Amino acid sequence: MKKATLLFFLLVVTGLFFSAAGYSADVSKGIHVGNAGAFTGDAAAPCMEIFNSSQLAIDEWNERGGIQGVKIKHIMGDDAMDPAQGVNVAQKFVSDKLIYGVVGPPMSHIAQATLKIYGGANLVCITSAASKPELTEQGYKHFFRVNARNDAHGPNCALFMKKQLKAKRIAVLNEKVAYCENLAKETIKALKKLGITDIMQDTIVGGAKDFSPVLTKAKAFNPDVLFFVATAAPDQAIGVRQAKELGIKATFFGTEGARDKKDFIEASEGAAEGAYVYHFGPDIYSIPEAGSYVKIFEKTYDVLSGFGPPAYEAMNILLTAIDKAAKDGDISREEVRKYVSQTENYKGILGFPITFDDKGDLKGGATYFFKVAGKDFKQIAVMTGK
Amino acid sequence: MDVYLQQLTQQLVNGLTLGSIYALIAIGYTMVYGILFMLNFAHGEVYMIGGFAGWWALHLLSRNNVPIMNAAIVISLMLIIAMGVSGLLGMTIERFAYRPLRKAPRMNLLLSALGVSIFLQNMVLTYQGAEIRFFHVSSLIPESIRVFHIGNVVFSFMRILVIFITFMLMALLTVMVKKTKVGKAMRATAQDTEAAAFMGVDVDRIIVFVFLIGSALGGAAGTLVGLLFTQVDYYVGFQAGLKGFTAAVLGGIGNIFGAMMGGIILGLVEALATTFFSAAYKDVVAFVILILVLIFRPWGLMGEKVPEKV
Repeated sequence: MKKATLLFFLLVVTGLFFSAAGYSADVSKGIHVGNAGAFTGDAAAPCMEIFNSSQLAIDEWNERGGIQGVKIKHIMGDDAMDPAQGVNVAQKFVSDKLIYGVVGPPMSHIAQATLKIYGGANLVCITSAASKPELTEQGYKHFFRVNARNDAHGPNCALFMKKQLKAKRIAVLNEKVAYCENLAKETIKALKKLGITDIMQDTIVGGAKDFSPVLTKAKAFNPDVLFFVATAAPDQAIGVRQAKELGIKATFFGTEGARDKKDFIEASEGAAEGAYVYHFGPDIYSIPEAGSYVKIFEKTYDVLSGFGPPAYEAMNILLTAIDKAAKDGDISREEVRKYVSQTENYKGILGFPITFDDKGDLKGGATYFFKVAGKDFKQIAVMTGK
Repeated sequence: MDVYLQQLTQQLVNGLTLGSIYALIAIGYTMVYGILFMLNFAHGEVYMIGGFAGWWALHLLSRNNVPIMNAAIVISLMLIIAMGVSGLLGMTIERFAYRPLRKAPRMNLLLSALGVSIFLQNMVLTYQGAEIRFFHVSSLIPESIRVFHIGNVVFSFMRILVIFITFMLMALLTVMVKKTKVGKAMRATAQDTEAAAFMGVDVDRIIVFVFLIGSALGGAAGTLVGLLFTQVDYYVGFQAGLKGFTAAVLGGIGNIFGAMMGGIILGLVEALATTFFSAAYKDVVAFVILILVLIFRPWGLMGEKVPEKV
């Protein structure tokens, strides 16, 4: 009797031990990777570019025979830019035991809302666009990014406005979401450090389609530069169009979302000419390693705006880690997470080697600046914090 | 001080444009409420589909983003098509979603309206996709007359046109309601449906007519917003519907002139609040004013105190 109790106890303990150690499985059961993003709504265009670029990476892996002979399956999770739906997506992904990693979420506010869920399940996430600094400051070990943080972009944008645009009076208009508020805050902080104190700040409501009242207010301030911090390119297009209509003489300087030929340059019907935008990714056309990716993407899908390449990179880093984890025929989420965190000097298509630091952030971090000329963006400067 | 005055004048222009659009949307809410005592929550979607209809009209009448005929004709056709599509849609909604429920409790009608709204939004999402449609309007209006300056205040041609068209439509509606036979029948039905029916008014036809007119005006608003702000997508109806509804309540729901006034006041308040406070508070200010009005005049600015029917 006593023996039986002991045996039972032992069984329970071993059971507990294994469940605590996490789910580990035979690779041949299948390998899924999630892709979380706002595939419908205002940011559908850049997010679909992210999805399609990730798909390209997966297609290439599958053509080479997959991982351990298993074809990788790509699963879309649409959050429509809504944190509540983002949480649903995270729960769906976490409960799919065959998902070993996620690319995304690309938006800071969604990433913030889902950190705990992905973190709790030890499911590795590599975002290609979420740049809110706090995301990697909360002690989570599963969250990585191949893009620079806002607190790198903010000071870089400030430097750019001072050095390149020679600005002395600056109006900052930002949307009321995590990414935009942070970027505005960091930029203003850096501007003040650089000695520029004539700054006006106000907010815009994303998707409102009419920014004339707040632009009218900005016009009265008479700035040299209008820093327009909005998430989506269509909003930026309205901003630049209405600024011109109101006769605002200031140089228009938009954020990364605006680096979109169709939804910004074409949509503004000429109003964007001479405007500046920054982006976390370089001009992909100037990087030789990216040549084949660009060619296949543009043949299969559409023109690239800049959101695709980092996503392609993120998916490849994730799959490389899964590949390493699956070498012994057995795979677990913890193994994948470990290999992602060990990524060092990964040379992909972005033109700089990728290494993650202890927090999951990219080591180094550059911001690229572009000017609208005709129907395209021309890269004119790179700032790296100095 | 001078700069401040300029800014205020400019804000009046901004507010008046947006306000006149709100007014057009509010009319649809208020007319339906006046007769059926229901909130037609699908009205925002009717507005959105009007925007899409206008976009399609412009798209089909353009080659490489340049209109193939006189711009005035193109804009007129856009409006006529948008009003036609939205008007027909409104009539269809009434026939299939509201008429069968007319004897049912009010709550059922409200739920039916919400259902129609979700259905239409998703229908557009399915058939038109989620991406934003851009109105390529720059070639509609020659560069030389695109903006006017009076002092330092800027008037764009499109704004003036939008304000002009909305006021024309509102004037037409006013004449129709006040002077024509059908207008009289509408007023009678709104006042007392049963009595109107006894007097020989075909109440069903009047209700259909009200949906037709209200929805057509909503569709016109959708296209005018497209001309002005150049974008439409499947989700624009929600925000617009909310603002139109607010304007209708502000003016006194059920009262057509109240809706016009409510819309314009709402637009002006939003624009001016941006100057006096932060733009982040413009909706807060607008809704505080709505609440204040409702505290002191629960029946709205122009609404009448209706004794409770027993």
